[in-house]
Amino acid sequence: MESIAADGGIDLFIPKTYDIFWSLVILIILAVFFGKYFMPKFQAIFDERAAKIQGGMEKAKKAQEAANQAKKSYEDQLNQARVEASKIRDDARAEASHIVADARTRAQSEADQITANAQRSIESQQQQALVSLQSEVGTLAAALAGKILGTQLKDDSVQASMIDSIIADAGQQDAGKPKA
Amino acid sequence: MFQGVGSDMLTLAASQPELPGIDDFMPPEILFQGTPFAMNRIILVRFIAMVVILLVLGITAARAKLIPSRWQGAIEWLLDFVRDSVVYEVMGELRGRQYVPMVTTVFLTVMVFNLCGIVPGLNIAATATITMPLVFALWTLFQYLITGIREQGLWKYLKQELFPAGVPWPLYIILTPIQLLELLIIKPASLTIRLFANMIAGHLLVAICLAFTQFYIIEASNHFLAIAGIGWFGLGFALTAFEMFVAALQAYIFAVLTTVYINQSYPEED
Amino acid sequence: MDIITLAEVTGSISILGYGLAALGPALGLGIVVGKTVESMARQPEIANKLQTAMFIGLALIEVLGLLGFVAIFIA
Repeated sequence: MESIAADGGIDLFIPKTYDIFWSLVILIILAVFFGKYFMPKFQAIFDERAAKIQGGMEKAKKAQEAANQAKKSYEDQLNQARVEASKIRDDARAEASHIVADARTRAQSEADQITANAQRSIESQQQQALVSLQSEVGTLAAALAGKILGTQLKDDSVQASMIDSIIADAGQQDAGKPKA
Repeated sequence: MFQGVGSDMLTLAASQPELPGIDDFMPPEILFQGTPFAMNRIILVRFIAMVVILLVLGITAARAKLIPSRWQGAIEWLLDFVRDSVVYEVMGELRGRQYVPMVTTVFLTVMVFNLCGIVPGLNIAATATITMPLVFALWTLFQYLITGIREQGLWKYLKQELFPAGVPWPLYIILTPIQLLELLIIKPASLTIRLFANMIAGHLLVAICLAFTQFYIIEASNHFLAIAGIGWFGLGFALTAFEMFVAALQAYIFAVLTTVYINQSYPEED
Repeated sequence: MDIITLAEVTGSISILGYGLAALGPALGLGIVVGKTVESMARQPEIANKLQTAMFIGLALIEVLGLLGFVAIFIA
């Protein structure tokens, strides 16, 4: 062991000038290389990658949102269309029933009108028949009365007024009958 | 020591194996002898290692892409390891961000320099003179002193370091010199000696094993000793693998301790 | 004054010194690593933190053993 100590074992632990110089040179070169070039370069790459991943995720999120929106609008449209269709159907149904009701009322009114017309014509015919009957019955009654009285009524005007009064009486008596 | 061991063990052998000694760590100057810029073998190894780092990492960084290739992925894994498992684990992200480049430099450089010890042809760790570890340790020392002064101001920083709170005052008479010694000498010296001594021990172990292998298998006159030589070779092989592990472990420990020391310069949370 | 040497030990006493110097750190390292493994088994989720703490302690202990190693060269 004396041999190693005598060989200058302690020299191992005493730095030499030139060693310090070169070590510093190497350290400074490496520190500058790492600090100015290597680490910033990789840091930039790490940052860019992180940004890209984040950007990609955001893009995916955006796409997802757009898809969701499209789906929602599609569904909205579908719903709207469905509502519209049902509305149209309801409208159509309502219109149809309206048309039917219209037709019915029109038919009804027409029928009423026809009935009324018929009634009116019947009434007018009745009136006509009554009038013609009146005149005929007048002459007939005058003739009959003349025959019955056996005398010819001389004065025509007396005769006519008498007949009229008789018919009016008869007419008044008959008036309620056709209505019943 | 080793020559003594060798001569005791090798009574059968004709000559002695060429055992490594501490001269391995003080090689003769081969360039610019006698000037302050003299270079020896270890400094050359250091330069080779530096050029390798500059070339490999420089080319990797120049070709770095957003989508990493396999090699770039490996480098990025290392960077992530230093950032997350060393710096952020000890200091947290907020404090640690500004020290990531420094710790990465220390870690990668120390690891590559250590690994030179098992590269055929180089065969000695570039950190195997005391100066290189010392320079790294001094960098750490300055870094944590500067950090402490910047974060707390000189007076408060010294007060925190030299007069720890919660100690009865008579103890300061003993404690303060120890704390001062610890702050200025023990921390960097322990960093230096740990790395340096590990590299010396590793080199000596591997070199002794391989020297014995050489001696028993090739030079020994008694050929039965070749069996022992194979045993020595196996041991040398295992120790080489162990040195690889130690190289990475020491780099990791150096980086972690650097981070821890810097972190201690921050004001203690209450 | 004749001392008869019955047995002789050659070599350096520094080796013994290193052996002694390695003893304490060895025990310390054993305790540190053992306790860390125990803690990791109990709480695997903080294994990383424990490992970092273990390496820090391990480095501080290791330097004691290495001081013995250095002493061989110096003394």
